[in-house]
Amino acid sequence: MNDEAVVKVALVSCGSEYAGVHGELESVASSVNATLIYPEIDIDVLDDIGKEFGIEAASPDLRLMMARAKSVVEGLSDVDGVFITSCFRCAEAAIVRNEVRRYINKHSDLPVISYSFTERTTAATLLTRMEALTTIARRRHLLAREKQSGLTAGIDSGSTTTKAVVMKNNEIIGSGWVPTIKVIDSAREAFDEALEEAGVKEENIQAIGTTGYGRFLIGEHFNAKLIQEEITVNSKGAVYLADTQKGHATVIDIGGMDNKAISVDDGIPGMFTMGGICAGASGRFLDMTAKRLGVDITELGALAVKGMEENVDMNSYCIVFGIQSLVNSLAKGATPEDVAAAACHSVVEQIFEQQLQEVDVKEPLILVGGSSLIEGVPKALGELLKIDVLVPSNSHLIGAVGSALLASGFVEE
Amino acid sequence: MRTAEDNEDVITKLVVTSSDSVLPIDAAMKIYESSTDIVIKETCFGTMVTGPRESVDKVVKEIVDLDRNHIFVKERGFPPGDERRCRASRGGGSRPGFYFLKEEAMMLPMIGNALDKYDRNVPLKETEHKKKLEVKELQDLIESTL
Amino acid sequence: MAKVIIYPINSLILSDLVQRFGHTPLAMMEKIKEKISTVGVDSPPLNITAEEPKHGLKYAAVEVPAGVRGRMSIVGPMIEEADAGIIVGESPTAFGCMGCARTNELTKYLIRNRDIPLLELDFPETDDEGQEFVYRIAEFLKSLPEAEGEATE
Repeated sequence: MNDEAVVKVALVSCGSEYAGVHGELESVASSVNATLIYPEIDIDVLDDIGKEFGIEAASPDLRLMMARAKSVVEGLSDVDGVFITSCFRCAEAAIVRNEVRRYINKHSDLPVISYSFTERTTAATLLTRMEALTTIARRRHLLAREKQSGLTAGIDSGSTTTKAVVMKNNEIIGSGWVPTIKVIDSAREAFDEALEEAGVKEENIQAIGTTGYGRFLIGEHFNAKLIQEEITVNSKGAVYLADTQKGHATVIDIGGMDNKAISVDDGIPGMFTMGGICAGASGRFLDMTAKRLGVDITELGALAVKGMEENVDMNSYCIVFGIQSLVNSLAKGATPEDVAAAACHSVVEQIFEQQLQEVDVKEPLILVGGSSLIEGVPKALGELLKIDVLVPSNSHLIGAVGSALLASGFVEE
Repeated sequence: MRTAEDNEDVITKLVVTSSDSVLPIDAAMKIYESSTDIVIKETCFGTMVTGPRESVDKVVKEIVDLDRNHIFVKERGFPPGDERRCRASRGGGSRPGFYFLKEEAMMLPMIGNALDKYDRNVPLKETEHKKKLEVKELQDLIESTL
Repeated sequence: MAKVIIYPINSLILSDLVQRFGHTPLAMMEKIKEKISTVGVDSPPLNITAEEPKHGLKYAAVEVPAGVRGRMSIVGPMIEEADAGIIVGESPTAFGCMGCARTNELTKYLIRNRDIPLLELDFPETDDEGQEFVYRIAEFLKSLPEAEGEATE
């Protein structure tokens, strides 16, 4: 499939037409040159699908979802990816949605996203997800790239910080990391830092890749060859940095504003999910905690590994009320170490509850993003999941490294 | 809510024939010969009739009168081929209402026969409804197989 | 004639029988037609926008999924408008507007909760059951009083 082809996305959904979001789904699909397909089913399948698939759901539309998933897996519908969606807060649909997602992932090579919507879900919320889905379908050859070649740069314009790297012949030779203030100015600053450390001039860079929230703006500004959402870029960067390009891996990226959980097979995302509704599950929570403790964010991790989260009563995971709990516990005699540990635990627990239910965690578990440098975070995650958490070196540069790596695919072209 | 230019109230009715004497094509012919401001589309389950409400009602009544108890009608939300609903533009896959319609269409001969009987005042037979097995009967059943 | 809400709300058979015996069926199809003919709203396929689930808050609380509330924003007013109701037990293949079990539970509850003449029965499977089905519906419909100010046919 070439880059221009329309990507056919099977819509396996319940309720979207009645929740006021269907138009948004259509709109986001067309914005990434994709079209939503309603998988064709054989009507007789509906009689037994509950027993055949295994869930005798009371809602007929959920049985229709199972039948459509079966049609996709059996190849009755010719599609390139699957979007599984149902109403937020519907327990019955959540059960079916999760099992349908697993079923498609297990029985096909199709990329799958799963999402639960409210009437407030907009096309903008879904853009990164849909862009990732179509990228995986369109650019499999590019995503198969395992080595960086030539002289390339990657810039990750995140919501909180902007990261840049310069890479040459599969090595990072320069990097920059600055807070995001003005998108283009901050990118310029990070990129200059990286160029200076690398000792190369911008005009010698053969290809630039951009990712993150500001990817379109800076991509245009720096004339990037690759402008790519952070799901595919980060999963690529993660398996590259962790040197686990073959086989299964799970990538968790805790960003400043949202976080991603990605199930990767041979370096290509299979299932993924993105947070973004709750700040309590983001790096921002840790940032706020550091501020309340009066320490720099870079010191929070060292504090956290010395503390006991059990010593702090967290009444809420919310960025407002949870931080209040932390402050109250300080007044009751908890140590800053305990509070730092409790903050890391709270963020990780939210990611576990909100995100990790939407992907299957398979080892190795690679933790990336700025928050991965706060030692208390991988520690808390490892304790919660009872597995070893891998934090590769340069894990905070993940998006920039992934962009530089993928951009090198354009050097030879 | 209709606008001023939409005043004539264009509707679509679905006519499903389940008749031994009237075929869907007869129904279609009836429409062709009777009206000019009506558009029809034949589908696997019946004929969709679209046009101003008055004309549609008139034509549909004429069709139903061909075999009153074996031709069934319901209004339909979308006109035939509406891009938002049409299978062709949805990338395959029937619209959700289709499955239930198919199910109901299979019941129509039974409903038609019942309507005939009702018209002829055939008395209702006492139908037996399934009852739960009494505990005593179940006990006897178990004991008899021991 | 009386306005009779039917359940399943998109049933061909019930819609036909109600009409056949001289009453007005309150069915989903007409409501969908109103929705999709609304000029200036472009939210395909049904023109249900984020506003409908909000209107649905009248019938179900905010913790009830948007798909239920969106459906209820259409079905709820039909129930309020009804002079009588016919509820036929669950059909195995009712999708779309009838595709959500939670909505269906609430719909039936709200119909039963109205103080209106109500007939409840099951879809027939045999000819004998079919006969009983039609007879009971016919008798029920014939028993309905003409609704006030509604004699338009």
